[in-house]
Amino acid sequence: MQYTWKIGGEAGFGIMTTGLLFSKIATRRGYNIFDFVEYPSLIRGGHNAYEVTISDDTVSSLKKEIDVLVCLNKETFDTHKNRCAPKAKIIFDPEVFTPEGDIIPIPVTFTAILKELQGQVIMKNIIALGSSLAIMGADLIEMNSLLATQFGRKGEAIILLNQQFAQKGFDVVLSTSQEHISPMLTKKESPKKMVVTGNEAFAYGAVAADCRFYSAYPMTPSSGVLTSVAAWGKKTGMVVRHAEDEIAVINSALGASFAGVRSSVGTSGGGFALMVEALSMSGITELPIVVFISQRPGPATGMPTWTEQAELLFAIHGGHGEFPKIVLAPGDHQEMVELTLQAFDLADIYQLPVIVMSDMLLSESHRSIPYDEIQAKIKKYIPNRGKLVSSADESYKRYLMTDDGVSPRLVPGGVKTFYQANSYEHLEDGHTTESDVERIKQVDKRARKIKTYLSNHFIIPTTIGDIQKAQTVFVGWGSTKGVANEAVKKAKEMRKDVAYIHFSYLYPLDKNKIKTLFSDSSKQYILVENNSEGQLGKLLQMEVGISFENKILRYDGRPLAVEQFIEKI
Amino acid sequence: MSTLQDFAGYKPTWCPGCGNWGIGVALRMAFVEMGMSPSSVMISFGIGCSGNMNDFINAYGMHGLHGRAIATAVGMKLANHTMPVCAVVGDGDCYGEGGNHFLHACRGNHDIKVIIHDNRVYGLTTGQVAPTAEKGQKSKSTPSGIIEVPVDPIALAITQGATFVAQTFAGDTKHMAETIKKAFEHTGFAIVNVLQPCVTFDKKSTYQYYMKHVYKLDTSYNPGDKIAALEKAFEVAQEKYPLGVIYQSSRKAYHEEAVANVNTSLIAQPRFQDFDILAEEFV
Repeated sequence: MQYTWKIGGEAGFGIMTTGLLFSKIATRRGYNIFDFVEYPSLIRGGHNAYEVTISDDTVSSLKKEIDVLVCLNKETFDTHKNRCAPKAKIIFDPEVFTPEGDIIPIPVTFTAILKELQGQVIMKNIIALGSSLAIMGADLIEMNSLLATQFGRKGEAIILLNQQFAQKGFDVVLSTSQEHISPMLTKKESPKKMVVTGNEAFAYGAVAADCRFYSAYPMTPSSGVLTSVAAWGKKTGMVVRHAEDEIAVINSALGASFAGVRSSVGTSGGGFALMVEALSMSGITELPIVVFISQRPGPATGMPTWTEQAELLFAIHGGHGEFPKIVLAPGDHQEMVELTLQAFDLADIYQLPVIVMSDMLLSESHRSIPYDEIQAKIKKYIPNRGKLVSSADESYKRYLMTDDGVSPRLVPGGVKTFYQANSYEHLEDGHTTESDVERIKQVDKRARKIKTYLSNHFIIPTTIGDIQKAQTVFVGWGSTKGVANEAVKKAKEMRKDVAYIHFSYLYPLDKNKIKTLFSDSSKQYILVENNSEGQLGKLLQMEVGISFENKILRYDGRPLAVEQFIEKI
Repeated sequence: MSTLQDFAGYKPTWCPGCGNWGIGVALRMAFVEMGMSPSSVMISFGIGCSGNMNDFINAYGMHGLHGRAIATAVGMKLANHTMPVCAVVGDGDCYGEGGNHFLHACRGNHDIKVIIHDNRVYGLTTGQVAPTAEKGQKSKSTPSGIIEVPVDPIALAITQGATFVAQTFAGDTKHMAETIKKAFEHTGFAIVNVLQPCVTFDKKSTYQYYMKHVYKLDTSYNPGDKIAALEKAFEVAQEKYPLGVIYQSSRKAYHEEAVANVNTSLIAQPRFQDFDILAEEFV
């Protein structure tokens, strides 16, 4: 079973906090959740909405129909009524408006409760949560405990006040809508889970990977990473620096990387555009760095608070000149933690930039992920710093020729010797050169790292569904994995055999290994991307020589929907 | 104990008579006199004739991007604040392409020493005007004369929060070395603006010109007086160039506030592994 709960209201009135609270409550009650927030690029005014899909199975995408809609204003109902399931429960304030249609009205006297308890408008959220839990057959145990944590620092009185509002909302439903209560959130036994966004998953992964320097300039939808690592800074010891611009961000991170600490930066497409000169420097100086890009619809300022996957080719080609880099794109929140750990290792092992791609959908949506499994993975993880050394003798050469293309990297400060990391072409010892022979040696050395990577660390795409039986095979990357997962499930319910090929290791690609995945000419391969040009398709055409006749491309700023897949079957 | 020779890298490719020669020697002298070795200092180089010093001086160096040497140095210092960090940059590098970094590094009081080669031209790209060029100066990029008035680096640094602002002259190696040493002894953001003739592309700001217009601040001058310091900075309008420490004040350096345990460098701190306490926030 899956249900979708949605709340909407005016921006600036706590919709986001309330949505997250609901996600945590549902998770604590034993369910899996996936949520998504809709908000304009404004702080006040405009319409905010937050929806949570809960499931007793895994859930990785939103559901088409809304089952419970909380309308903190009339606009919420007008905007979302078309998505409401037949007999959806609509929570509303009868003093404000009355919803009509094939719905079940659940009147909650918000205005009267606020008056009675002398609460501020923002308390409507808490009332709404109490009412939602009542109508979905839950109790207030988890909510009360979460309120106690959330307002703990503000003191017992504030906690009690909030709990009182929750109780009021709960009681109103019990007394006036008893007959409409259905068991959507009955308490279930389930292993402990964490509710994280993609941004938090990256931030958590970075801490676990022993990243000690993170720099960023705030840019939606990547800013959540900066906020998280900054909030943890006192505990973790990570130096987190909000620099003057993205150019300073990446150049300072490369300075820190040179000095020997794991370093990372995060941004969206526009900020990445400012970073590419330094990305190229990371290539020639062979300094490790992890670059987190959370995409949003461009070009230029585009649609800052919506989602798109239109920076794949930009990331892959970002930077002037020819140099190796690795591009990874986690498909979901758990993979974000795992690939972030891997990204820091790969950056150190191959001494190059590793780009971790996200998008607004993955970055800002929450998902419940298994607590113990993540903790076990993180505790087992030991950073692999590759050929980093802390001492060397006078014969040390920073850019020494090696078979695998990787040279020992000395942490500055080691006595008896010294070297320079040089953005000019250089000799093995780091000094500048314009020699044709030395130039070719260094270009080839750097390129050898890619060969080594492809044989040692490249991982072929994963498949979801039965690829042998499937006649229709969807192909995608990044956050598309979530919706594709749901589409394959849905197709199975419809007794259709479909599968999905998912790319997480996007660049460089092993041509031969990829080609065999597409060798069955009786199958129909359909490219699915959240952009207008089919960038993964272009990449596969260029790197592997395969092309797609059939494509699902969405570029209205909204996430791909299961129905778009089903239409193609 | 290191010697001048220990710091000597490749033979410089600077033009004969270029002020860079003197600056290079002064920097090495300062390092030797401070008891440093090539293994004990990190230098971030910009791009230009000045940045080319990367091959001519021995140290842990990073020859980065044009305009970005200060940003790079900021990262170096935060990662390992137990090593002295220096940025060797030009006027175009520091006040043009990297102007934003300069401004904010002043505010942040990062403990880095910035040696600016101020020769009023872009030497390496054959003599176009720099941000410090006098209004009206003609060059290949400004055949009718530059329209902008020059940047006033000293006033800019003082007003934006730098805690050590000094000026010296490429024709006086001893004064340069002394000034650089004082910059290194200071904790915080220190700039040393070196007035430097470009013998190839600038026929006005020559050694003779500067020798006529520079003067040394004497012991009666108080570098702690911010207003007096600004007045000194403004003397550039009368073509008077004070040499010495023009302004100095004391404020916590950036790393002293940003690094959790300031007694240990970031790189030497133990790995954080208390992952559970963070994870509980997500339950």
